[in-house]
Amino acid sequence: MGLQDDVAKVLIPEDVLQARVAELGRAINAMYTDDNRPLLVCVLKGAFMFLADLTRHLEMRHEVDFMEISSYGAATRSSGVVRILLDLEQNIEGRHVLIVEDIIDSGRTLDYITRNLRTRAPASLRVCTLLSKPSRREIDVLLDFVGFEVPDEFVVGYGLDFVEEYRNLPFIGVLKEEVYADNEQ
Amino acid sequence: MKLPDAIERVLLGEEVIAARVRELAAQISADYTDAEDLVLVGVLKGAFIFLADLARHLTVPHHVDFLALSSYSRGAVSTGAVRLIMDTRASVSGCHLLVVEDIVDTGYTLDYLLRTLRARQPASLRACVLLSKPERRRVEVPIDYLGFEIPDVWVVGYGLDYADRFRTLPYIGALKREMYE
Repeated sequence: MGLQDDVAKVLIPEDVLQARVAELGRAINAMYTDDNRPLLVCVLKGAFMFLADLTRHLEMRHEVDFMEISSYGAATRSSGVVRILLDLEQNIEGRHVLIVEDIIDSGRTLDYITRNLRTRAPASLRVCTLLSKPSRREIDVLLDFVGFEVPDEFVVGYGLDFVEEYRNLPFIGVLKEEVYADNEQ
Repeated sequence: MKLPDAIERVLLGEEVIAARVRELAAQISADYTDAEDLVLVGVLKGAFIFLADLARHLTVPHHVDFLALSSYSRGAVSTGAVRLIMDTRASVSGCHLLVVEDIVDTGYTLDYLLRTLRARQPASLRACVLLSKPERRRVEVPIDYLGFEIPDVWVVGYGLDYADRFRTLPYIGALKREMYE
C-alpha cells in the first residue's frame, strides 16, 4: 500500500517497539506509587499512540491530561516558544508530573514546556520520551525515560508524522529522501 | 489478573476489544477506499486509546485530529449542554470526517459534535463509537460504526474514567455500584 512504499527502511520494528514500551512502563512503575501518583501530560498530536500503549502497562494509580501546542513558525524556532492550543485541565500544583513526548530533537520545545509547567509548582517534573535525537540537541534537557536514541534521520510512524501522514504506521520508519526533499523535520 | 477493588467485573476483555477494533478498522478501510482526505476526529480525553488502536489497523491514508469537549452539569446530572474546549487543528471543510468517540450515553455530546461539524460542510460525516448504552439515550444520534452495545452500568478502562481514575486499564470493567450511587 502507498504509505509503506514511502518508507526507506524500518528503523524500529513493531515487536521491538512494543517490548521497549513495556520496559518503560516497568521503569515508571518502579518510580511512582499510589500515594505518589503521577499525572501523565501528553503532548499532542505526536505522543498519543505512545501514551495509549504506555499507560496500559502502568500499575499505580495515575491520571492523564493533554496539551496541544503549535509552533509559531521559523522565526521563533530558536527560542522554542510555542502557542498552547489546549492547556491542561488539571491544576498541577503539588502534583508529580510526567511529560510524555514522542521525540526530542533540538530540545527547545521541551525546554519551553518544562519551564512553563515549572511555574505552576508541581511536586516533581519528569520526562518520558519514546525517541531522542541527541545529535540534533541545541539545548540541554533532562530526559528521565528514553525509549530509543535515533540517528538524525527523518522518522515517521507510531504517532510521528510528515505533513500529517504516516502517523498510524505501527513501527518507526525512515522516510525516503525524495518524499521529504526540501522539508525539515 | 487482579482487579482493582472498585471494579466489579470485566465486561469486555482485552482480546475481545482488540478483535472488534480490527473488524471496525477493516470495515472502515473498505468503506473509505476511494475517499481522499479522510480525517479521524478523536474526542478527548476518552477516545485516545480507541483511536490509537483503530488508526493502526486502517489500511487507508488518513489524518488524525483532536477535539476537546466538556459538558456542563448540575451535580452529577448532565444538562446536555456541551462546551468546545479545543477545536480541530485543521479546517475540515470538504474532508471526509469520521468522529471517533469512546461512548455514547444520552447522545447529547455526539449530537452537538455532529451538528457543529456538519455546519463546516465536510464531504461526509460519520461516527465511529466503541460503546453505546441505548437505555440511556435521550436524543437520537446516528452511529455508523459501533463496537459494542452495553447495559447501563458505569464502565471504566480503555479510555473511560470515573473521576479521572481507571482510564488506562487495558480492558473495560464495570464499576461497583456503591462507587457511583
